[in-house]
Amino acid sequence: MDGGSILETIGVEIIGVMSPVSICMFLVVLIVYTLSSPSSSDNQQVIRTAANLIYLESSSDTTAQKLEGALLNAVVFVVLITLVTFLLVILYYYRFTNFLKYYIRFSAFFVLGSMGGSIILTLIQHFNIPIDSITFCLLLFNFTILGVISVFSQGVPILLNQMYMVALGIIVAAWFTKLPEWTTWVVLVALALYDLVAVLAPGGPLKMLVELASSRDEELPALVYEARPNVSSRSGSRGPNLGLLLAGFSDGDPIELRVMSSSENVVQNGRVVSEMRSESEEIDDVREVEIEGEMLPLMGSSSSNNERERPVVNEDIRESNESDRARVLEREIEEEEERGRGIKLGLGDFVFYSVLVGRAAMYDLMTVYACYLAIISGLGCTLILLAVCRHALPALPISIALGVIFYFLTRLLMEPFVVGTSTNLLMF
Amino acid sequence: MTVAAGIGYALLALGPSLSLFIALISKKPFLILTLLSSTLVWLMSLIVMSALWRAFLPLKTTAWWPYAILILTSVGFQEGLRILFWKVYKKLEDLLDAFADRVSKPRLFMTDKMQIALAGGLGHGVAHAVFFCLGLLTPAFGPATYYVEKCSKIPFFLVSAIIALAFATIHTFSMVIAFSGYEEGNKVDQCFAPVVHLIAGMLTLTNLAFGGCMIGIPLLYCVAIVTLVHCGKMAWRRLIESRNREGNFSNSQ
Repeated sequence: MDGGSILETIGVEIIGVMSPVSICMFLVVLIVYTLSSPSSSDNQQVIRTAANLIYLESSSDTTAQKLEGALLNAVVFVVLITLVTFLLVILYYYRFTNFLKYYIRFSAFFVLGSMGGSIILTLIQHFNIPIDSITFCLLLFNFTILGVISVFSQGVPILLNQMYMVALGIIVAAWFTKLPEWTTWVVLVALALYDLVAVLAPGGPLKMLVELASSRDEELPALVYEARPNVSSRSGSRGPNLGLLLAGFSDGDPIELRVMSSSENVVQNGRVVSEMRSESEEIDDVREVEIEGEMLPLMGSSSSNNERERPVVNEDIRESNESDRARVLEREIEEEEERGRGIKLGLGDFVFYSVLVGRAAMYDLMTVYACYLAIISGLGCTLILLAVCRHALPALPISIALGVIFYFLTRLLMEPFVVGTSTNLLMF
Repeated sequence: MTVAAGIGYALLALGPSLSLFIALISKKPFLILTLLSSTLVWLMSLIVMSALWRAFLPLKTTAWWPYAILILTSVGFQEGLRILFWKVYKKLEDLLDAFADRVSKPRLFMTDKMQIALAGGLGHGVAHAVFFCLGLLTPAFGPATYYVEKCSKIPFFLVSAIIALAFATIHTFSMVIAFSGYEEGNKVDQCFAPVVHLIAGMLTLTNLAFGGCMIGIPLLYCVAIVTLVHCGKMAWRRLIESRNREGNFSNSQ
């Protein structure tokens, strides 16, 4: 049973998306927990950001005032985001791609350097870590620069890129949790609605952006988490070779080539996976059919190259005997299956999931856990829908809706029940 | 120091589950998904129960019977949910087998099925431990501790962590027992899980009496050990049987 059961292959890509989201949420919760617990008593400085331009919440206001102000804030925030997104679409339409890329690099620099730096500073103060300012600046600068480099260049390992994406998500989310409570909830709901419209409605800015990018066969000029598996952790000794090979090919070129060869050097099959296509298509069924189709040219006839295949010789793989070859092919297929399935998740989704959980963390651990489960299951539903619909889907609405519902259900219903029973040491 | 104590309580309640998760579940993505969905199901059951009981809480009386009814209804509801969970799982198993045929991989082995059951049970156990113990642990990280009047010898957090550990064990392994009972049509195994769950729940009623936890917790651990031993025996028997069957199969060929 060296092939293993199907339990190991099913759901790899879902976990590939879920685990970074979980890590991001977990770290945000930790940050919120450590930073908010001592200072919760004194009224901390409310910062003014784009999300609370109109109204600054203070605890003495009435509920109606809070609600009204929060609604106004949310409307302004969403309008701002819409405008910016349209601006991005226009820039992208007129092919200011480099401008966009440099802008995004700059914003990554800014986020990592100043916002991340200030969070790290607070943490240092909180834990009384002895560090001098020169070392700190040097380390922060290096950290930031590496992050900026990793944003759009394909040369860096995918793991590094993923780590920096998660880091960016954590930093932005940690800042968003400083918003006042009512504004947070209303903004979250408004953003979920906005996401729904922007991705699905005809003429929605995100839909236009995705379609443009896929029609040009280009990478989306945005901060997007790619759930391509990092090869080294998964496959055996040959993994790193393949990873290098891949990185070499995809350098400066959005098209990925997959290489397959055998000792007889007859069967060559390079799959072209356009980056954008992989966002919108596939999780399960579709892909399996394709793989079945691909088994045929691999195992059987050598001449049946269709237009998607390109002959690229891979010198590294030289397997002599037949059984080895079969095994290698099988493995290659598996890897290909994994690699092709790069589900992409916008960084905004990371951020707002984490904001929700971080906000829940300010209440109790129980709500954190309930919200986490709700968001993750919402994400799972979205991914399943993705497999069915096969075009770009908004990741926020289902998760945020479930998260908000579970938060309030837990807070209003479950908490008194659980606390009531378990302080009597009754459990079941 | 207090942070250490808090982490210690958390690990006491969730340590075995955590090691199970790392050793077994985390390697197979599908099991992680099963774990998550089972945890979600349990959370929803808890929410439904609390919605039903919301009007009556907090109970002002010191009588034990309202609590007994509470536990009875909750256990009943959750056991009903377990049967539902099994039905859904059965459908899923057919889907998985069909899928395995299509990608020309072996169908689900017996051990795979048991692992799925284990993941489902672990979801229940983890959800229990998280909501009944970890959710209340926040004050334990602070500079004080808390004693309940009825069990004044041990800190409340420690007691709840110990009880949560027992329940996590019971939930995890009774799911395996129940699933195999459903699969084989074995009536004893089918009834084992609800009965154990109910007994364990009722045993916590002893905590309402003064000093009752000194008696209740050892009994609870007896129940947990019985569950473990039963599950171990059953798994052992099924493994031997399946190996014999395979042996016969290859002999006859």
